[in-house]
Amino acid sequence: MRAAAAPRTRRQKEIRRHLLLYAGVAPFLVIAVFPVYWMVITALKQEPDLYRINNIPFWFNLPPTLKNFEILFFQTNYGSWIINTMTISAWVALITLLTAVPAGYALARLRLPGAENLGIAIFMTYLVPGIILFLPLSRVVASLGLQDSWWALVVVYPTFTIPFCTWLMMGFFKTVPMEMEEAARVDGCGQFGALLRIVLPVSLPGVLTSVIFAFTLSMQDFLYGLAFVAPGDQKPVPVGVPTELIRGDVFFWGSIMAAVLLVGLPVAILYNFFLDRFIQGITGGVGK
Amino acid sequence: MTASLPSGGPDATSARAAAVSVAVGTRSRGWFQSQSSRRLAFGYALLAPAGLYVLLLVGLPFLFSLYLAVSDANVGDQTAAFIGLANFQAAWEMETFWIALRNSVVFLVVAAIFKSVLGTSLAFLLLQNFRGKKLVRALVVIPFTLPVAVSVLSWKWMYDSQFSVINWALSRAGLIGGYGSESWPIWLGQPHLALFACIGVNVWRSFPFSAIVLLAGFTSVPLEVLDAARVDGCTFFQRFRHVVTPMIFPILIIGFLFDTVFTLSDLSVVYLLTAGGPGNATQILPVLAYQIGIQAGSLGRGAAIALTLVPLLFPALFLMLRNIKRRDW
Repeated sequence: MRAAAAPRTRRQKEIRRHLLLYAGVAPFLVIAVFPVYWMVITALKQEPDLYRINNIPFWFNLPPTLKNFEILFFQTNYGSWIINTMTISAWVALITLLTAVPAGYALARLRLPGAENLGIAIFMTYLVPGIILFLPLSRVVASLGLQDSWWALVVVYPTFTIPFCTWLMMGFFKTVPMEMEEAARVDGCGQFGALLRIVLPVSLPGVLTSVIFAFTLSMQDFLYGLAFVAPGDQKPVPVGVPTELIRGDVFFWGSIMAAVLLVGLPVAILYNFFLDRFIQGITGGVGK
Repeated sequence: MTASLPSGGPDATSARAAAVSVAVGTRSRGWFQSQSSRRLAFGYALLAPAGLYVLLLVGLPFLFSLYLAVSDANVGDQTAAFIGLANFQAAWEMETFWIALRNSVVFLVVAAIFKSVLGTSLAFLLLQNFRGKKLVRALVVIPFTLPVAVSVLSWKWMYDSQFSVINWALSRAGLIGGYGSESWPIWLGQPHLALFACIGVNVWRSFPFSAIVLLAGFTSVPLEVLDAARVDGCTFFQRFRHVVTPMIFPILIIGFLFDTVFTLSDLSVVYLLTAGGPGNATQILPVLAYQIGIQAGSLGRGAAIALTLVPLLFPALFLMLRNIKRRDW
């Protein structure tokens, strides 16, 4: 009797604990997810369905539609914005890779005098906010003849991706055992050969992480895109949607939500997987 | 937490570092010295592209912004003559500037309070073990991982003056009257509500960040230390107060400062929701700097306004620098 009762009460306790925890987590979940849900359902609703106060707005009162997406691709510059966003991010990722990976390696492995302070100095530049740099940079962009073209953003975005990714790569390279590199050297590899053949392949996850961050951080920007790129067909998505799809007081909420979702959701999902790396990066614990 | 301690913790790292340095030490001196100048040249060559990029496009522009602030630079005019502190003086004589400064500080402080409360509660919940925790965590961090412009637009639609879903729910719950009645809030149109609405979006965006940073701090406290404290007779609150808090403090402060820098310098939330309005009710320094520097084309005065953020940011950056340097990474 007692033996049978004991596990049941433990199980009941466990269930009660879970229920309490779920009740605690539920409000956070609702707050975090509802705006996203609201975007999705708005994007799929017919225009009149958005403006019926007497119906329950949380679900479809008229059949769902893809018309909002159609409008985007056939009646606006949205197609070019997507292409711009992807191309900008790809270039930024490439520039970041070519600069941050070697720099991270040099700072972590080559016992340069003052390497630690140099590393911190580079990381601190990540924290110089765009709002202080965008006015002088607008002059730089103009003198390069890049104003009014998305190339301006390719030049500017690495100012925050390089510091962050250098810091990240420093951490990764520190975790590769020195012995591996020295063994390669004994076997006749030069310094560069050891980097290319031994250290880089082992640090591939780190390199990939850097690429992902270069991509997602580029897509998180709003200020530089707003300040440097005026022509309608040159904008990246996060800037094009609020500045071109909103005209005066007329809001096409269905298309607007559809437009930002298509780019926002993939970025959010990708970023989600690498969030812990990001937090480790900024709290300085990368090298542990 | 994925791979929070990829190499087996600080002890393993330092032990390995010691082993490595011993190995290097026993190597013959000649090999080391002949290698060292080549090694340095190689090292600086690898460092140069990143270093130059940052120097040319962050360092120099920062200095250039100091010069812009004391010049009469305009968009479309290549010259920039020195005019002393006239830009600062002009800014200080604008009533809008002081409103923006006040709003920036209010924004920062109020948002920080809400973020700490929400972030701490969420962190304590996520510290427990329960089924579906990974899924909950992945969903709850979405606000932080969505690009700012995207989520702000969603909020702009939820704050709509007539078709706000928030108002719909409040109205159905009987908390407010119908559309057009006195108690129907127009979130972005009423001065006090508008600032609150903007702060709300910032809090929504960053509370998952606070929670995750705290969580990273909690999980970095070794269980042995807690057990030792328990064996020594510490109660839960004593353990929390005297063991956990000091140990996670460095991470906490870095997360806090990081958030301060980004909240103070962010223009997108306010710019997209209200552009500083109604009147100047939500005007903040970044938006004002943009409006004057780019939209009105007065680069010098815009730079002067942006630079007034520096005294606010500087203590944060300084503390952060000290904290990062103290960490034995």
